[in-house]
Order: sequence, then structure tokens, then C-alpha cells
Amino acid sequence: MEEHPYRRQSQSLGLLRFPDTVHTNEGREKMPILFPPCVLISRLRPPAASVFEQILWWMEIATEAFILLRSINARLYGKYLTFFIYLTAVLLIDLLRFSVLTLHPSVYAPFYWYTQFLHAGVGYAVILEIYKHTLNNSPGVARIARTFVWGVLGVVILKVTLNAVIRPVWSTATTSTELERDMRAVQALLLAGIIALLAYYVVPTGRNLRGIIFGYSAYIYSSVVSLAFGSLPGYGLRPGWRLVQPTVYLAALVVWCCTLWSYSPDPATETESKIDRDYKLIAEQTRRALSRARSFLKMGGEL
Amino acid sequence: MSQLLPYLGVALLLLVVSALWARQIFLTRKSRIEVVVPRKHQAAGRSSASRQALGERIFGLHDWDFVSRNMPSEIQKMFLRERTVLAISWLRRTRTRISLVMRAHVASVGQIADLHLATELKLALSYLVFLILCDLLIAWIWLRGPIRTRRTVGQTLRTVTWLRGAFEQLMARVDSANCIALKTNFDHRGVGS
Repeated sequence: MEEHPYRRQSQSLGLLRFPDTVHTNEGREKMPILFPPCVLISRLRPPAASVFEQILWWMEIATEAFILLRSINARLYGKYLTFFIYLTAVLLIDLLRFSVLTLHPSVYAPFYWYTQFLHAGVGYAVILEIYKHTLNNSPGVARIARTFVWGVLGVVILKVTLNAVIRPVWSTATTSTELERDMRAVQALLLAGIIALLAYYVVPTGRNLRGIIFGYSAYIYSSVVSLAFGSLPGYGLRPGWRLVQPTVYLAALVVWCCTLWSYSPDPATETESKIDRDYKLIAEQTRRALSRARSFLKMGGEL
Repeated sequence: MSQLLPYLGVALLLLVVSALWARQIFLTRKSRIEVVVPRKHQAAGRSSASRQALGERIFGLHDWDFVSRNMPSEIQKMFLRERTVLAISWLRRTRTRISLVMRAHVASVGQIADLHLATELKLALSYLVFLILCDLLIAWIWLRGPIRTRRTVGQTLRTVTWLRGAFEQLMARVDSANCIALKTNFDHRGVGS
């Protein structure tokens, strides 16, 4: 019997957490019962390799819930509303997946992929939050950032259109994974852009924002790399490789837990009132300084 | 495998940029940039004068004339070696100061709403080229020695002085209490060639 392409693709990516264990008899015999019946999914007997995944999953859910509770307690939820909406959505998705796996394990795989798109899509909210907060007091840099974002989106739309023209046959099996990989790659590009601007223009940021940026960057980095390598035959099914993404996500949650413990406002940028904003003069002076220095160096090289 | 390269490239870019930003945060926290505005620069006049004298001494002909006339060839070689090391060190410091000019620029224009992307890209590119050329000059001195390249170095000093003047004009337009100013104790005069 021919294997369904969707399942093959999913397996090659190594992103199926529980369905494999549900449908594998060998796994049922090997696995230790890690959780009490109220916690462990009924009839679920994971192989040894997925015990750690189960622990990670539970730790993720617990940490997400803890961060959200803490944010409400510390009155942070409203300060970084979009980010916490993202975290709430991720927590709900995790709980929904868990429910589906418990009640209807046969539909878990498609459900996983649909919610995974939602997960990746909501992730853009985090980037939006980062842009909004970091560039709030730097209108010039925000302008460059907007140009950059529109440029990236334009390239992505162009690529999707070209792909649709070149490969008109729409296959859920291949596009589902590719789409998530592409979405994560675009997020990585946007994050790299904003971080580069923050570093170049020395934009001051507070502890909360730094935590959000570093945590999310680490997660996106691991997602792009694991999705890219996971699509290679022979990589996706390796147990160690399958653990990279959830492990890094848990690390990101720990970073958020530490850095979002209490509100830390962004350092006040220089007040605007007394600064003469003759940008053309400043830019011209710097340009002349650099060009003169460069021309003299060229001349020096000829001596 | 080749289809993965763009994704790995993007991931690597994110990793590198994050690492650089983390390094910047760490260094900024470790040593805050000293706030010195140009109008307070007179206080640093003494140290500036001593640095100027140091530059003149390193690249000047006075010592070399004496050594080349009165000392054996071994001493002459030793003298040139030491002067090369000193000159390179001095140029590196000059390069750092020019970097401060650029940093002052980006710190100043960060809040300006009417920021031109094209202008900023040109400036960044010019700065990058300047840094590369500066490194080439260091290599040139390393190869030929400070005495033969003293004319070039003299021009370097004059350019740095000019940069300092431009920077002072820039900073004079920025309120001392509000700006992120950088300590720029450039030498006032260049070395005579």
C-alpha cells in the first residue's frame, strides 16, 4: 500500500509528536508510563525517544501559563499586549492539540499542521511588537525599517507568485512544510533587519524588549535550521534532531520568564526639543569627512 | 542540499546580527561612552598637545636623521622596527577616532524623522571603504616603514583634524545636555611632511 504523501512529508520533517507513538505497536511495548493517568493521554504509550518530548511539552505549557500569569500580576500584559496575545495563542494551541490528541488522535496530524500555520502566522505579531516598541522614539530609523519591511514583503510576494506560475500544481503535502519554513525564514529576515538597525543606530532598549528579541530570535533561528535540515532525507527522523526546536523554544520561554519578570521601561532617548535637526547638514558633513579621508588614503597608497 | 543554502544563510545572518548586538549591549554596559561636548574640549588641551607631540615624534625625521648618521645599521634596523610598531598603533587609534565620528553621526541622526535611506547607505558604504583603506595604509606602513610613508601619515593627521572640526560643528548644533557625545580628543595639527 502506498504511503500517503502528507504523512511521508510530515515524518521526514520529524514534527509529529504523538501520532507516531499512537500508531506504533513497538513503541507501545517499550515505553515507560511517565505520567499519572489523569495526565498521560489515554491509550498513549510513547516510545522511549518521545518521553523527553512529553516532558518538554508539559514544561512548555507550564512555563507559558506561568509567564502569562506573572504578566497579569506584574501588569505587563498591557504594556506588551501583542506579544502576550501571541503567547496566549500559543498556549491555547498547545492545549487544543493536547485535547485533539486525547480525544481524536486520528485527526491530530492535519490539526497539527493547520495550527502550526496559525502558530507561525501569529509569530508576526511578536515582530510587530518589537518594531513598535524599539523604534517608537526613532522616527528616522522607523522610516528605514518600514522601507525594509515593505521590501521584504514585496520580495516574498514576488517569490510566491513566481512559484505559483512555475509550479502550478498545488500539493498540500509539499507546500505545508515549505510554507512554514518560508514563513519562519521571512521572520528571521525581518528580525535580522530590525536587530541590525538597533545595533547600527545604537537604539536604546530596555530589559523586557531585549528579552523578547533574544528569545524569539533563538526560537526562529532553531526553527529555520531544523525545518531546513528536517526536510532532508535521513535527518528528520533522528530523535535528537527532532528535539532541537522544542528545546530551544523552552529556552526562549525561560529567557522571557526572566526578562519579563517585572516592567523595565526603555531608556529615555534624548529629548527632541533642543536638538537642531538639520539632517542634511549632518549627513553632508559626515559624507565630506569620509570622502576626504578616503581620497587622501588613496593618494597615500600611491606614494 | 543546495536548496537549503538560502535558509541557512538567513539563519546565519540572524545569528551573527544577534551576536553583534549582544556584544554591543555588553560593551556599552561595561564602559559607558564618555559624554564630552566640544565646548568643554579646552580641558583636554594638555593631553591633546602631548598626543600631538607624540605623533610628530613618531613620524618626524629628527630622530631618524640622528640615528642614520651616528648609529650602526643594527641600531637603525631596530629603530625602524620600533617606529613601525608605534606608527601602526597610532594609526589604529586614529581609525578608532574616525569610527567615533561615524558613531556620533548615527547617534545624532537616529531621532531625525527626515532620514534618507539613500544618504545613509552612501555614508555607511563610504565609512566601510574608509576603514578598509585605513587598514591598507596600516599594511603599507608595516611593509615600508613609518619614515617612507610619513608624508601619507601627515595627510592622515590633517584629515583627522579636519574630521574633528566637522565633528565639532556637528556637535555644536546638538545641545550638550541631550546629545550622546563621544570623547574625541583628536590632535589639532598634522605632522609636517
